[in-house]
Amino acid sequence: MTPLLLADPHPVLAHHPLGASTGYMSEDRGDWPALVRHASELSPFAIELSALSEDEIEPLARFLAGEPPLPFRYVSIHGPSKGRQMSEADLAGSLVELAARANAIVMHPDTIEDPRSFRILGRKLVLENMDARKDDGRTVEELAGWFEELPEAGFCFDIAHAWSLDDTLTVGGELLDAFRTRLRHLHVSSMSADLHHVPLTEEHEELFMPLLARCLDVPWILEAPPRQP
Amino acid sequence: MASPLEQLTAASGRNFPNLYAARELTARRLAERRASLAELPHDEDVSLVLMGSWGRSEVTSGSDDDFMLLVQGDARMDVRPSLAEVKTVLDRAPGDQGIFGEPVSSRRIIEKIGLEDDSNSNLSRRMLFLLESCYATREDIYDLVREELLDRYLDQSVKHYRPPRFLLNDVVRYWRTMCVDFAGKERAGPEKWGLRNAKLRTARKVLFAGGLLPVFQCATLRADEMPAFLRASLAMPPVDRIAAAFLQHDAPDPGGRALGAYDDFLGLLDDESFRAELNAVTRESSKASAAFAEAARLGKELELGLLALLFETDSLPKLVREYGIF
Repeated sequence: MTPLLLADPHPVLAHHPLGASTGYMSEDRGDWPALVRHASELSPFAIELSALSEDEIEPLARFLAGEPPLPFRYVSIHGPSKGRQMSEADLAGSLVELAARANAIVMHPDTIEDPRSFRILGRKLVLENMDARKDDGRTVEELAGWFEELPEAGFCFDIAHAWSLDDTLTVGGELLDAFRTRLRHLHVSSMSADLHHVPLTEEHEELFMPLLARCLDVPWILEAPPRQP
Repeated sequence: MASPLEQLTAASGRNFPNLYAARELTARRLAERRASLAELPHDEDVSLVLMGSWGRSEVTSGSDDDFMLLVQGDARMDVRPSLAEVKTVLDRAPGDQGIFGEPVSSRRIIEKIGLEDDSNSNLSRRMLFLLESCYATREDIYDLVREELLDRYLDQSVKHYRPPRFLLNDVVRYWRTMCVDFAGKERAGPEKWGLRNAKLRTARKVLFAGGLLPVFQCATLRADEMPAFLRASLAMPPVDRIAAAFLQHDAPDPGGRALGAYDDFLGLLDDESFRAELNAVTRESSKASAAFAEAARLGKELELGLLALLFETDSLPKLVREYGIF
């Protein structure tokens, strides 16, 4: 039988809950009220607040501490993935404070040196599979060690990252086979030739749907704006 | 043959150790209680029915012995065994107030559906009897009354290849009644707010979905096939009915995660300190309770899986749209 979404001309946008990552809203970077407003225009149900550099954590913490009324039922926060300078203990401590106001804290495993520092995040910690540019956290074998060290951590499946390693999506299927019981949410987009997130193409949407159909019960976060009709 | 839950384990890669352990405990204790209760003096028209976690095959260390003395036909107070006699065997019986405190007439639960005489208690007894119960004594009386109740729901209004609306409406009505009653109980007092809230998010949803899914499944059947199908389906624990639906609609991974979350909750509920913390939580203290946060998270995972099944798989979304709202 064909899942309902497969029959939809824009099946990804028909998924619920859907959300936007503020990471692609570069023109509003640092303006959390504006970022939240723009993300809620795509969907008021889920959001990923991206604090991709360490200097974004403190302003985000201040914004959330003000307890702004937010419509979202699922909030994830993407932790720093570049230019890391804080000690791991300090960073993990900062993320614990943020975690109190979020459902998930997403981290790139290749940016973690000592996973033990992040155990205090418990089940809120979510590890994302990496793209082909990275040298760790890309495949089942590479991620398995991280989950051994962080047994409570969930899995964020970035389908474009998986595609960058293998455009037949065999690697993607293996990742879901291995970590499906840990799955918490998805990152959905296409990737450019230089492996940056770009709007999901029709071709990729069709290619990705069999794997996405295994993930109907978790939020899908768009890592790039929806393609223009 | 493997149960739907066992089949889902194989298809999803998710084990359900707490559900399996609870099934074993339920079977063991049920055999003990059946043997002891069979020793009690028994009227020919009375069946002792166990409800709640017994009917879901989810007995844990903290489970109560919720029971109903079911009288086939009209009610009378002088039934054998008496409530006092039953309580010599069922040592964790509920109090004599509410829905479990008096003998129940099958005529009343079957014939008084809707209108003034269908009280909150009558609705609750009927739905618990249909959706999550098992016999403790007199299986023949138990089966007969269930048959009569299903016959009442599957009356002349039933049409081929359509969910039976009378039953569908009563199942939906019961879920909404539980939700509204939760608010009513909160207004009456904060006692057990946390545990009631957690159960509404988990076990009550399983009860509701376990009734809803077989009713929607009737849309694939002729009217004359529905009674046997519903009898067989409702004889399974609700979790098996849900597991079967996830498998049938080709969604084993979401099914594994949804029932996995429920399995985790059942495991935590078996932990005395977790249960005690939930019991003590009020709306005001809930934000500071780790136990409540965990119960809420697991309830949300269960709900997301059930919603994906109902709204994003192959045929169910159209059935829900066609019959689920109006």
